[in-house]
Amino acid sequence: MDWSRRKFLAAASAAGVVPSLLPGSAGAQTPKRGGTLRTIINPEPPSLITALNVQFPVQVVGSKIYQGLLRYDFNLKPYPCLAKSWTISPDGRVYTFTLQDKVTWHDGEPFSADDVVFSAGKMLPETHPRWRISSDRLESVKALDPHTVQFTLKQPFSAFISTFLSFGCPMYPKHIYDGKDYRTNPANSTPIGTGPFKLKEWKRGSFIHLVRNDNYWDPGKPYLDEIIYDVVPDSAQRVAAIETGRTDLVQNNDIEYFDVPRLKQQKNLVFTTKGNEVVSPIAWMDINLRLPKFQDKRFRKAMMHAIDRQFIVDKLYFGLGKVANGPVASTTLFYDEKVLVKYPYDPKKAIELMDEMGLKPDAKGVRQRVNVLALPYGEVWTRQAELVKQQFGKVGIEVTIETTDSAGWFQRDSNWEFELSFNFVGQFMDPAIGVARVYLSSNIRKGVLATNVEGYINPKIDDLFARGATAPNAEEAQKIYSEIQHILSDDVPVLYLTELQFPTFYNSAFHDVVVNSDGTLGDFDGAWKAT
Amino acid sequence: MHNRGAVAGAVVLLLVVIMAILAPVFFPASPWDMVGAPLQPPGSPDLLLGSDMLGRNIASGIAYGARVSLVIGLVSALVAVVIGVTVGALAGYFGGMVDDALMRITEFFQTIPGFVLLIVLVALFSPSVVSIVVAIGLVSWTPIARIVRGEFMSLRTREFVQAAILMGESNLRIILRQILPNALSPVIVSGSLLVGTSILLESALSFLGLGDPNMMSWGYMIGAARTVIRLAWWMSVFPGLAIVLTVLALNLVGDGLNEALSPRMSRKVQA
Amino acid sequence: MTGVLARVAFVSRRLVKAIVVIFAIIVLNFFLVRMTPGDPALVIAGEAGAADQKFMDDLRHEFGLDQPLWKQLAVYLGHVAQGDLGFSYRQRLPVTQLIADRLPQTLLLTGTAMAIALALGIAFGTMAAMYAGRMADTMITVLALLVFATPSFWLGLMAILLFSVKLDWLPLFGMATVDSGLHGLALAADIGRHLILPAVTLGLFFVAIYARLTRAAMLEVRELDFVRTARAKGLGERRVVVRHILRNALLPVVSYAGLQAGYLVGGAVLIETVFAWPGIGRLAYEAVVGRDYTVLLGVLIITSIMVIAFNALTDIVYVLVDPRIGSTG
Repeated sequence: MDWSRRKFLAAASAAGVVPSLLPGSAGAQTPKRGGTLRTIINPEPPSLITALNVQFPVQVVGSKIYQGLLRYDFNLKPYPCLAKSWTISPDGRVYTFTLQDKVTWHDGEPFSADDVVFSAGKMLPETHPRWRISSDRLESVKALDPHTVQFTLKQPFSAFISTFLSFGCPMYPKHIYDGKDYRTNPANSTPIGTGPFKLKEWKRGSFIHLVRNDNYWDPGKPYLDEIIYDVVPDSAQRVAAIETGRTDLVQNNDIEYFDVPRLKQQKNLVFTTKGNEVVSPIAWMDINLRLPKFQDKRFRKAMMHAIDRQFIVDKLYFGLGKVANGPVASTTLFYDEKVLVKYPYDPKKAIELMDEMGLKPDAKGVRQRVNVLALPYGEVWTRQAELVKQQFGKVGIEVTIETTDSAGWFQRDSNWEFELSFNFVGQFMDPAIGVARVYLSSNIRKGVLATNVEGYINPKIDDLFARGATAPNAEEAQKIYSEIQHILSDDVPVLYLTELQFPTFYNSAFHDVVVNSDGTLGDFDGAWKAT
Repeated sequence: MHNRGAVAGAVVLLLVVIMAILAPVFFPASPWDMVGAPLQPPGSPDLLLGSDMLGRNIASGIAYGARVSLVIGLVSALVAVVIGVTVGALAGYFGGMVDDALMRITEFFQTIPGFVLLIVLVALFSPSVVSIVVAIGLVSWTPIARIVRGEFMSLRTREFVQAAILMGESNLRIILRQILPNALSPVIVSGSLLVGTSILLESALSFLGLGDPNMMSWGYMIGAARTVIRLAWWMSVFPGLAIVLTVLALNLVGDGLNEALSPRMSRKVQA
Repeated sequence: MTGVLARVAFVSRRLVKAIVVIFAIIVLNFFLVRMTPGDPALVIAGEAGAADQKFMDDLRHEFGLDQPLWKQLAVYLGHVAQGDLGFSYRQRLPVTQLIADRLPQTLLLTGTAMAIALALGIAFGTMAAMYAGRMADTMITVLALLVFATPSFWLGLMAILLFSVKLDWLPLFGMATVDSGLHGLALAADIGRHLILPAVTLGLFFVAIYARLTRAAMLEVRELDFVRTARAKGLGERRVVVRHILRNALLPVVSYAGLQAGYLVGGAVLIETVFAWPGIGRLAYEAVVGRDYTVLLGVLIITSIMVIAFNALTDIVYVLVDPRIGSTG
């Protein structure tokens, strides 16, 4: 990453230069006040308190109410949200944030450095697993004055600056939560944040109705009067809703991939896959490396060659996403395509590799039998399991597909009760946050999801990730992460499949809906409707 | 009219069974094989009923699916019949405490929303053909138990049963040899209807994503097709029609059996 | 006096039976749902895509899932006895409130479906019986069989495609237009428009059943002596059909309908999913998937009580429509 540029951004933002540099606001039209955005939430979130529940749907709605200190543009460079500027000490250990003036909570109380200290230093370390990755490395959080907060790290952690989005470190009001039980606080049903929208009504099972925060800190914003999230559990219904104009915006998994080509034809809809850069999930199959049959690297490579991953992208994702070849997504920091070992679809090569290791077919033509645990997240995943079953079958690997509902999948995947298991894991900008956890031998934790469930143990990789996280500068970090990408793509600790992209469609009357890498998980304070 | 219906039903059913048996003759390749381009409409070369999103032949799926769906329907119904007959026979024959206890159990199953229980059971055992069949059987046996209990209660008072009791025949023997054969006709009728209901239940489970992905059943095909319903109507319409036709045929046959086997009508008219 | 006592004894015996059944439902399902793989903490962690051991331990402790199972059951039973159905793990709201929010919608949906089913079913069944063996009968019978053989969710999807997407006559989903500011009659009309498709789809299946039942029962009854007597007395055909035949034929229909109460709630799972109807069936399904034990048990308890109450009601209706009792009283 370009560190001098970051400092420039920090300085420039203080002078109010940054907003005009940002994507999305470059449009020639001036925003208009008023209007309602009707959209969909699926599944219905259990609550809107993003500090206590880090589920996706909670964030989709909660992000309009609770904000973080920073936002990140499409290239994952930070820019201001509740913090208007920041500096990083030369040794990379001290981060000082200056807060926006005149921010108030929805109940009228002023937002101050004390709230930041409370959120980042007390509440979130207790409740927010994503923030704990950062807070575990914190030495102290202090308020220098009502508008200045200083974070001091035990040692340099280059990913730190990438963890201040609302998804990672949302701000919560000290006067409401401090000293009380977070989870049973009555305020949890009447959320109070700093965001551009407030909760008006939540009719469970039907809709969540947000209205404009008239005392929002950014003058003139937000432009929209209200946002309505309809709860629509059936995907056929959701696509019909966007087609008929009953809803203005669909996001994340609302739309099945097969509907994308048809919706793209529709003139009044804007299509984008941008705004997923923060999460940038990669789909793969976890390999249970504890099993002897998977311990020969050649067999793992053979499996890679046996799957036509381009077919998955073209025919199952209808062209969305791309083939993944390594542990780091191309949309996140430190991706390096040059170093990757690639595995084109080549059944002959797969057979050669198995012949070479002496894995011969039996009388039925079967060389090896494997069980594949399908992911119960919709038809696309089931089709992938069926495809793998067919294509493995062609090279003599007989597959039995196992299914569960989602709770059963969580149970089996996290407790290593699988042979191969479809999975996808978010990246969260910096490899130290989203990537390392899957490969570090110190992160083999039974019963916990998105850890090193495959049981991969490689001291070299452990060492490299440790050095990557504390790298003094971006060039050094890049070198380390390039080496990691080379080793992992060669070693195949998981079967890399595809980089996922999520289609977003919205009514063309709306503007500045997706303006940064948070996409529809952003706060929508700049979104507006043309009349 | 009904006999004609029953004959028509029997013919359709026979055709379905023949299709199931001869599936490998018509379609040598596995129904899971990707034989053509994806999402081809019906009437495409070699794809009479079109192809699905992986380029698999829908017609082949329907033919092989007949095997799975019929087996699921039959075995689930059989499970239900076995449980229902056992409970009903014991309750009706012994009466008293046994009857009371068994009827509480029956009420228990009738009181819980069956479909919710079905989902819990399938989630518990994780979806597979076996768990689906057992679960469907477990939630659909109560009507059979009630019918059989009623028959047993009335048959038990008949002279030939009383005679057998006096002659000291064992209870099991009386139940199996004397009463059961006389109580079978309504069981056969309800059983035939249950086959159809089971096929429908399996399709509903598949619709919710709780089908067995190693078995191509019609329900599984609809479940897989429902999200693409507007892109590829043929993927859900043909298996849907297969279900409708087969269940219809089963019900027609059930009606026919009812008329043929049930002496009630004639008895009442004479009375 | 003895009559009253007998009645009290009868009612209390029934009540005891009902309590035994509900108790069994609680205990059995308690263990059943606990045997399913995964727990609410794991589901919440899994859907978050980020969770560590502490996160799940905190949740399990908070939910009391770290207690021995028998202790959890005892605590739960104690609460239920006091009318407290506990707290939803996922939604963090009292289960009674969640159910109270959803129950009216389901009752509206299933009640309407039931009314449609009974009205149409009895009408078609009567028609079929009156024209037994003729064209109308054949048509009705075939149609009923056809509907009976069609998966309801599939029918629902097709109906949406036709009426909401292609023709745009009816709303796509939900049960009312959000924040429409409508009141009184206008609001009722709005809900009515949302209600048509799901209620008809759910009801159609039962139309088929009731039509067949009515037809069969009427054919049976019309051969009976008292009907012949009524005819011989020179009563008009209409009067004979309605007062004598139909009234008797309704008995099996009514008793069958009583047994269907549980099915309606279960069948509503699919219809509520297809039409995004905010009812109790969907709540139950989501509770299963989310391992939200208390919500699932709560729904099962409430629906069981409803089914038992409904059956009792059926018995009363039975007495009312039974002409043998009616004529003496």
